[in-house]
Amino acid sequence: MAYVIDAEQGDGMTDRTAPRPLRDWHPVRVVTTGFGFLLFGLCGTVLGILVVPLLLALPGPGSARQARVRRMIRVAFRAFVGYMNQAGCISYAFAGASSLGRPGQLVIANHPSLVDIVLLIAFVPGAACVVKRAAWRNPSMVLAVHGAGYVANSPTETMIEQASALLAAGECLIMFPEGTRTVPDRPAHFHRGAASVALRAARVVTPVFIRVRPPHLSKAVPWYKVPAIRPHYSLTVEAGIDPAPYRARPAPIGSRLLTDYFKTCYASGTRGT
Amino acid sequence: MSRHATGRQPVTQLMHDTDAIFNELRATLAELFELDPARITPDARLSEDLEIDSIDAIDLLDRLRRQTGRKISIEGFRSVRTVQDLVQAIYRVVNEG
Repeated sequence: MAYVIDAEQGDGMTDRTAPRPLRDWHPVRVVTTGFGFLLFGLCGTVLGILVVPLLLALPGPGSARQARVRRMIRVAFRAFVGYMNQAGCISYAFAGASSLGRPGQLVIANHPSLVDIVLLIAFVPGAACVVKRAAWRNPSMVLAVHGAGYVANSPTETMIEQASALLAAGECLIMFPEGTRTVPDRPAHFHRGAASVALRAARVVTPVFIRVRPPHLSKAVPWYKVPAIRPHYSLTVEAGIDPAPYRARPAPIGSRLLTDYFKTCYASGTRGT
Repeated sequence: MSRHATGRQPVTQLMHDTDAIFNELRATLAELFELDPARITPDARLSEDLEIDSIDAIDLLDRLRRQTGRKISIEGFRSVRTVQDLVQAIYRVVNEG
């Protein structure tokens, strides 16, 4: 598997501007990708408007209701990823997923594509997530993100406190320190929020390197521009970072150093993705 | 998180005039952000001159809460731009009751 990915990457590196021959059943992939998003939108609306209120209404303590909603989201995302894979829209390899989902673990990842968050939530059981604020203004998403106890992203005290409280309570939390999807092949710009949260409450910070070749569903490209060849997602779980040494310094300095360390990890690990 | 709380007397008593607040604040900023105290003048702008951003502001408020023993809401600090603005904001919090 690995040599295929590297071959594709090498191919992409040599000449980015030359049009590539369309491969991997390109016209079919345009249809199946479009159908996948239609399905995602329809199912998401039904789940978000009808199923989530039902799950929240069923008896049980608040934590059980929240766990139910998270499980529903995970199952739905798993199904979407399964469809995209089976229909040949994408392929993926997720190395080391079993080490994710531990208590007090902060999972950080780069954000080259829309599908990153879907893949992470699909494969990290029980995790909470910091997601963009817009989800709280979307009628079909608001109940789900609220019911699942996700945290709305913003560089504010509220976000830092909510995210830290989840970790302190022993949950696993997923964050994208870049804040928003990145334009491919630009160096990662990491906000300090993730490091600040890590210093406050994480037991361990586990970076996940996400690489997509060719670029897929990135910020620069609309979803209907289906790449010439089938995109391959490769997710690699790296060794955990102990935040304790960074707590020896004043918090603002510690979070800068930890953010710099994240950048170093990603610069060497993702090779510019 | 109690690591900064020790070794320092409650300074509420000191913080009744702005000069005392400024001196205390200069020591806090110098320590928290590892800045040269000479850079921390009343006119210094927090974000442009001292490179204190919104995430730093959260850490700074945490610290000021411990130092003053007051519940400080970030709301009263939205219009703070310079060190002098910050001194005034702390003065208001400390002398409010």
